[in-house]
Amino acid sequence: MRPFFVMAYTLIRAGVTFGQTVIGIIFRPYETYRRIAMYGKLLELMYIVVLLALYFATAALVKTSLFTPFLLTRKFLVLTGAAAYTFIIAVSLFWFLGKLFGSSGTLRTIALGWAYSLVPTWGWFFLTSILYVILPPQRTTRTGGMIFSFVYLLISTVLFLWKIILSFLTLRFGLKLDFIRILAICTIALPILALYSLGMYRLGIFRIPFI
Amino acid sequence: MSDALYHKFVKRWEEVTDLPPQSLGPLTPYYKDVVRRLKIMPWPVLLVAAIIMVTCIYLIVGSTISLIVSILQKGF
Repeated sequence: MRPFFVMAYTLIRAGVTFGQTVIGIIFRPYETYRRIAMYGKLLELMYIVVLLALYFATAALVKTSLFTPFLLTRKFLVLTGAAAYTFIIAVSLFWFLGKLFGSSGTLRTIALGWAYSLVPTWGWFFLTSILYVILPPQRTTRTGGMIFSFVYLLISTVLFLWKIILSFLTLRFGLKLDFIRILAICTIALPILALYSLGMYRLGIFRIPFI
Repeated sequence: MSDALYHKFVKRWEEVTDLPPQSLGPLTPYYKDVVRRLKIMPWPVLLVAAIIMVTCIYLIVGSTISLIVSILQKGF
């Protein structure tokens, strides 16, 4: 029984830390990312995986026209697999480029930081999939449609800017580099990720990259 | 200085010196000013920036904004 309690305690503790960290990246992103870089545990990733799985299950339900278990499972697995693959590609790319630019950071720190930077991505995708059900497109140019479009773009932009901040902090604390080098890394990495996203689009997996 | 205070100081010192200082030449004060506003509770700044950006998009593309939103809504 003892190993079970130890495992349960470890999981609960990681869950509490995850909750605190998510609140932290909302209100005090800089300080929280410093804490992630110094004391973050890979076990916290499990809770991010659960969050993402929740979204992919919702997306599979919304995107699949026929509610057959086979099609739903296939959609869910394709989305989950593609997101996991994208995560590995992004983290490896930044880590590799970081090493080229003299980074002393670790792969663990970048992986954890990048995983937490998926929270705004998750928020946008989840919101969009819910809105797709409640208020499906096309949007009209009437007053109501325009107000909705403005508010939707406003929320999307805020989440996008938040994502940029968290991504920057991932590179700052994960790679331990200065602004200029981070900018140089992004200049190289972004076209590669854009090409990768184009590939995902062509395959019909993600129209907007889940990065 | 008490041991606890000293250890707290050392821990904080290690945290601060863990990262290389940011220097952008003549732009450093502006950079520091922007970053200072984003370190704690960045939402007011993000919201203002988003309002400016979306208003600019609206002024440039006009009612095509609804088409952009329709594309984004199908993009998940």
